[in-house]
Amino acid sequence: MTALTRRGVISGSLGIGAANLLARRASAAAEPIRFGWLTALTGPNSAAGIGFNRAVTYTAAKINAAGGINGRQIEIITRDTQGDPAKAVNAAVEMASSVKVHAVFGPTNSGESLATTPILARFNVPSLQVVQLDNLIDPVKYPNAFRFAPSNTQWDDANRHYCLDILKAKKIAVLGDNTGYGTTAVGAAVAGFKKAGAEVVYAEVIDANAPDVSPNLLHARGVAADVVVVWTSSTGLNARLMNARGQIGWDVPFSGHPSMGSGDVARLLEKPDYWKNTYVVGYRSCSFDADGKFPSRTQAFIDEVTGKIELSDTTLYWIVSASDAVHLVADAVAKTGSSDASAIIGHWNQLSKWPGVFGDISFTATQHNGYPTEEIVMSLANSQRQGAFTLAPGYA
Amino acid sequence: MLRSIISYGLAMGAVYALIAVTYNVMHSVSRVFSFTAGLLGMLGGVFGALFIGRMGLPVLVGMVATLGCCAIIGVITEFVAVRPVLRSLDQHLYVLSTLALMLLFQQFTAIEWSTEPQPFPALVDLTVAGIDQRFWMPVLALAATVGGLELLYRHSVVGRAFLAIAEDNFAARALGLPERNLRIASYALAGAIGGLAGFTGGRIMLAFFANVSPLNFYGFVPVALGGIGNNRGAVVGGLALGLFQQAANFLVGGVFASIAVYGVFIVILLLAPEGLLRAPVTRRV
Repeated sequence: MTALTRRGVISGSLGIGAANLLARRASAAAEPIRFGWLTALTGPNSAAGIGFNRAVTYTAAKINAAGGINGRQIEIITRDTQGDPAKAVNAAVEMASSVKVHAVFGPTNSGESLATTPILARFNVPSLQVVQLDNLIDPVKYPNAFRFAPSNTQWDDANRHYCLDILKAKKIAVLGDNTGYGTTAVGAAVAGFKKAGAEVVYAEVIDANAPDVSPNLLHARGVAADVVVVWTSSTGLNARLMNARGQIGWDVPFSGHPSMGSGDVARLLEKPDYWKNTYVVGYRSCSFDADGKFPSRTQAFIDEVTGKIELSDTTLYWIVSASDAVHLVADAVAKTGSSDASAIIGHWNQLSKWPGVFGDISFTATQHNGYPTEEIVMSLANSQRQGAFTLAPGYA
Repeated sequence: MLRSIISYGLAMGAVYALIAVTYNVMHSVSRVFSFTAGLLGMLGGVFGALFIGRMGLPVLVGMVATLGCCAIIGVITEFVAVRPVLRSLDQHLYVLSTLALMLLFQQFTAIEWSTEPQPFPALVDLTVAGIDQRFWMPVLALAATVGGLELLYRHSVVGRAFLAIAEDNFAARALGLPERNLRIASYALAGAIGGLAGFTGGRIMLAFFANVSPLNFYGFVPVALGGIGNNRGAVVGGLALGLFQQAANFLVGGVFASIAVYGVFIVILLLAPEGLLRAPVTRRV
């Protein structure tokens, strides 16, 4: 019988420890990459979520079919938030504490994101955002949260650039709805135009359900506005403004919120002509040029997904950005060889011109707004096809 | 400017007045202020857009179907949200029950119809004295409704039975009047009137699930201004509200117009709590 020596015990313990560590690493390497996906798939605000979801599931399936990331499959863990912040909070807590996802994409509307962002920060879950609200991104308060889509400020910058530098407007009218978003957006737009040296001749916040908005447009015409900047996502208000513009026979350009290009607005217009001379925020990657062509990267993506992702009833921006979200997580795991939060966040903090289909994304430790402002352009509101728009006149 | 104030003001005022009459008709037989009044207005627009705009029914058929559906919603209100709480009116449980029913139907509409406003079709290609149908139609509907109610209440046995219940439902029941059936009929009538408000105002307000709240509130203002149960007062209050609101849109603009409306409403209630057109109630001691 062999004597039990101190050296033997130490050697044995070290051996067991090393074996445990190796086993744990092997297990971690084999476990799927859990991709948390929070969005409204049912309920009143589900159109965007349904569009995003098509690309999330398609992209994950494509990566998995090609062998996954370092041999690990991507597992999409979806929770339908139904547009309800309370449900989004519950889902975020579940993802972070019980499912223990490696990264989260979403939620995709502002009310839900406002509620979930602090929670995901508390659990330090790498988080990808597409919501425009400026204050959702703060590397000090939320070092885990990264936005790879434009912020409200970037939308405002792009719109102001178009009004002042391309339309050459001098006198600006700014209209918005009386929601929190509309009020904030009008205030920011007015401040931005004034800072740029333009004259804001009229600014007004309108009840989103106001049956008649002709008083507002008559006022704007009375002060000789060169352009009317519109910041509202209310399709009813957008359509009423365009109808009122047509009824009073005023051919002033409207410029602003993407919802002015929605098909829901078109259905409410009394004449198709009332949609002309209207420019909406868009993205170069999701816009046709004057020859009707997409940028090459976008065209390659569309060629790849045609017949696999339904594009006819959704917005191209939702599709390409959701595909980019899955790739951003997958690339972080592939490059670092780890799905730890610190590895993913550290990788994103050094991302420079990462070539997404939606745009080239860059982050630093102090700047988590990664979408390039120069990619934000204005588009013709009445030009939508295949979920994309034609560039507004004036762009190269 | 004046033309816009008068046309939009009278049209929207007529819609508010019709919702106020809806409140009154429901209240008269049950002493319940049902928050489904605005819901019925919203549904009038949605059903009209559905039957005529989407399904392509003839205007008259679509209108009858719309008013019929709204009458059924009125009856459902009576069964589900009013009857169970009638025995404890003093606890005002109807506030919760009618609000709950309203929210239920509103959410169902949002999910099944749309969360975005939908177009309401032009009903007739007729411009009267240069005034588009969207402006004269609600006013005509209001005149027909109030005139019809006057005829019903003053010159028919059924109408007198309604009034008897409104005055004293216990006494009416003791006299053998079918109080429950008359209440159901009254809620059906209120449903049709509320539906008519949304149907004739649909070209202005569109077919939109979120129209419930503004109709509920702005429809209640004429009730308070004109005096509870006073349909003539509701007409005057509604039209005055519409004109004032539209004038405020021009004069102070935007959300300040709403503030002006609320402000004037509160001042009038402070000065005349019983409404402008209702005699002060003397309290028996």
